Amino acid sequence: MRFWSDVRSGPRVRGWLKGLLWVLVVAAGPVVAVDYREEPMPPGFRVQMTELEGPVFADALGRTLYTWPQHKHRNGYSGEAAGTPACYDEVRTTTAGLMSPYPAGIELPELETRPSCTDLWPPVLADSTTEDVGKWTIVERRDGTRQWAYDEQPLYTSVRDKLPGDTIGGSLRRFGGDSPAVRVPATPPLAVPPGFAVKRTTLGLMLTTHKNDAVYAHAKDVDCDSACLADWRPLLAPRLARAQGQWGFTAPKPGIRQWTYDGKPLYAYRHDQESWAQQGSDEAGWANVYLLPAPAFPERFRVQATIAGEVLADANGRTIYLYRCGDDSADQLACDHPDDTQVYRMAMCGGGEPGRCREHWPYVEAGPDEVSPNRSWRVATVDPMSGRFVPNDSPEAVRVWTFRDRPVVTYALDRQPGDVFGDGTGEWRGQRNGLKAFWLRDDFMRGVL
Amino acid sequence: MDLKKIAQIIVLTGYLTSLDVEAAVGTPLRNGRIGFVMTDLFWAVYQTKDGREECPDGFNDGPREQFAAKFPDATERTVVETQLAQEVKTWHPTPEPDGFPFKVVEGSLSWGLNLDGSVDENDFVHPDGTPGIDNEVYRGVGCIIGFRGPDGVEFIFQNKGILDERFNRMMIELSGVDDLRNDDQVQVTFYRGLDRLLTDATGLEVMPGGTQRVDRRWGASLIRETTGSIRNGVLTTEPVADLIMPWQNLSVPSIHQFRDARLVLSVTGDGAEGLLAGYADVDTYYYQLIRNDSTHHLSNGQISSISLYRALRRFADAYPDPETGANTAISTALDVKFAQVFIVDPDRPVAELAQRR
Repeated sequence: MRFWSDVRSGPRVRGWLKGLLWVLVVAAGPVVAVDYREEPMPPGFRVQMTELEGPVFADALGRTLYTWPQHKHRNGYSGEAAGTPACYDEVRTTTAGLMSPYPAGIELPELETRPSCTDLWPPVLADSTTEDVGKWTIVERRDGTRQWAYDEQPLYTSVRDKLPGDTIGGSLRRFGGDSPAVRVPATPPLAVPPGFAVKRTTLGLMLTTHKNDAVYAHAKDVDCDSACLADWRPLLAPRLARAQGQWGFTAPKPGIRQWTYDGKPLYAYRHDQESWAQQGSDEAGWANVYLLPAPAFPERFRVQATIAGEVLADANGRTIYLYRCGDDSADQLACDHPDDTQVYRMAMCGGGEPGRCREHWPYVEAGPDEVSPNRSWRVATVDPMSGRFVPNDSPEAVRVWTFRDRPVVTYALDRQPGDVFGDGTGEWRGQRNGLKAFWLRDDFMRGVL
Repeated sequence: MDLKKIAQIIVLTGYLTSLDVEAAVGTPLRNGRIGFVMTDLFWAVYQTKDGREECPDGFNDGPREQFAAKFPDATERTVVETQLAQEVKTWHPTPEPDGFPFKVVEGSLSWGLNLDGSVDENDFVHPDGTPGIDNEVYRGVGCIIGFRGPDGVEFIFQNKGILDERFNRMMIELSGVDDLRNDDQVQVTFYRGLDRLLTDATGLEVMPGGTQRVDRRWGASLIRETTGSIRNGVLTTEPVADLIMPWQNLSVPSIHQFRDARLVLSVTGDGAEGLLAGYADVDTYYYQLIRNDSTHHLSNGQISSISLYRALRRFADAYPDPETGANTAISTALDVKFAQVFIVDPDRPVAELAQRR
């Protein structure tokens, strides 16, 4: 598989109306285009296409840039206020007490190997002659060094990212109110007309209205008659709107302009019950619109119906789970990657015992002939007793499936296909140190994809 | 046709229409069917003033108090020894002693039903004097403030989930009903609905007369059927062997599993109210609680899940494990309310909905 990486760099400044840039990605499927609005950009940066997040800002080497937005916790704030770097090279040694009910000041685990914030998140520094360009500004760190910021949020790279287009360090996918203060990729605004929005989901970049109503299109060029209109609400374009990129118009009646995307008229489904719904896709020929579909799942995985919607499941129909973790330090360091401390995961999945962990939450092992279909779903080798990545030829090595470089697991107490008894296991309903099911369809949970 | 004739027709049509509406409002039975949608679900906890009768030693401590008592010098210790140790006990519970006394209900009265048909020394007495009441969940949770009304965290938030979450939209439909006051045999079907509740202008009070579509897709595994009878407006059902009750809170889809579940409800054309009782699967009960409520939320209700698990295991009174002999289910009762609703079942001809008895 070849991944198309470099896009554009340099300070090209154009009006956004004519500044649509087409970014192509060659993944496992067909070529997909995603438009974004070009903005003034300093030299040495570029826009990089990624499989999961769409276009992101990157440095000259293609490394994704991240911000650490301020986040409100139960007992205070962490992350960075606008224009104020908070990630430094000191190693935090105690908890911050941001998450009730546990107090602050408790010694953090594995201090002898614990990284500092900047060990994991190197700041993107600017030299002394650099000047602000548009939303790209310079902020001063406490040691006097100058750091790039975008939209006033200081910028970092992630040591977890290895190749241009990696977004292993963080995701813009929804994180709940009690999640850690996570790092998120810095992105250019997507080129969607006013009145539309985009939500990053497990199925891709879902197009919605600005009120979060799902947007649908029909596979064929249907004439939506009065019976059809009883179920489907055409998304009308204002008189002054202009076609741009894949966005255009159709005229179902004289004087009425309806938005189209990729040549297909756009609608909302009148019977959708929640935001970001998928119910309309049950109607024959209709489907949600994704600006960028999610990368293909491993071939032997399948979509499994449950009591609450659909999940990704292994070949036997067992629900796939992802482990999430962020510590309670002021740095809010992640602890869900095999290169992070394994203390939290082992506690949750096995009461501190690796064997029990493997028994309760077994890795989804990859068959000898299975290979990674894309960058997001990858076969890796881990030592189940340590939870760490190990070389392929290591005697402890087990080939497992990973998503964003994190091994995926199933749950022993899920007895039959469709069980999701593991969802929400762990601290803060699985958001801080626990497990969440890999949801693919959400009819009841209000946006968990 | 002269104007007078037209006027007569209009008047007559209006009169007949008003009769029809009046009859429909007064008689929500349709073809011998009437539907109800669940609006309230609480663990039945018999409470006296200040709880002194049932909890003479007071109420239990929760995670916050237990943490402080166990680790007075927490800042001298590590996350592994303290916070994670407590979370390990939460997520990998055992029936072993946890080092804290657990206050159980000591009163003799409880809401609930006689589930096993016998009267023994472990049973409660109903406040109306009926002996043999089986409600061991109450024995375990009755002295935990989070389960007590009107402001316990479970009392408020779990029930809020019943109203707010379509995932929890359970319904019952009575069919074969000749008379809503007295009927020797009616069919009772449990379904999940797909729609939001019909409320008044405040959005808080559920009104009768709403419509719910049956969820035969995601909710197919929830459909159950039983029979019952109505005496003087009180519906009593035969037990359902294995009733699954969806109970999601804060976006974690969870269930309760009740063995031998039965309903005793006062029913009217507007709604139904009474008890749901049966034997709750202990593990399902426990994991629903801790998956939906983090240690933080449990702390707000002084609910130590670690202590409660031990109590649930100790008081479990049915369905012994064939290998270990330990009981796997615990008797319980829930206060439940329903509002009348018109049920639209995709598997049933639409014409049936419009037919009136």
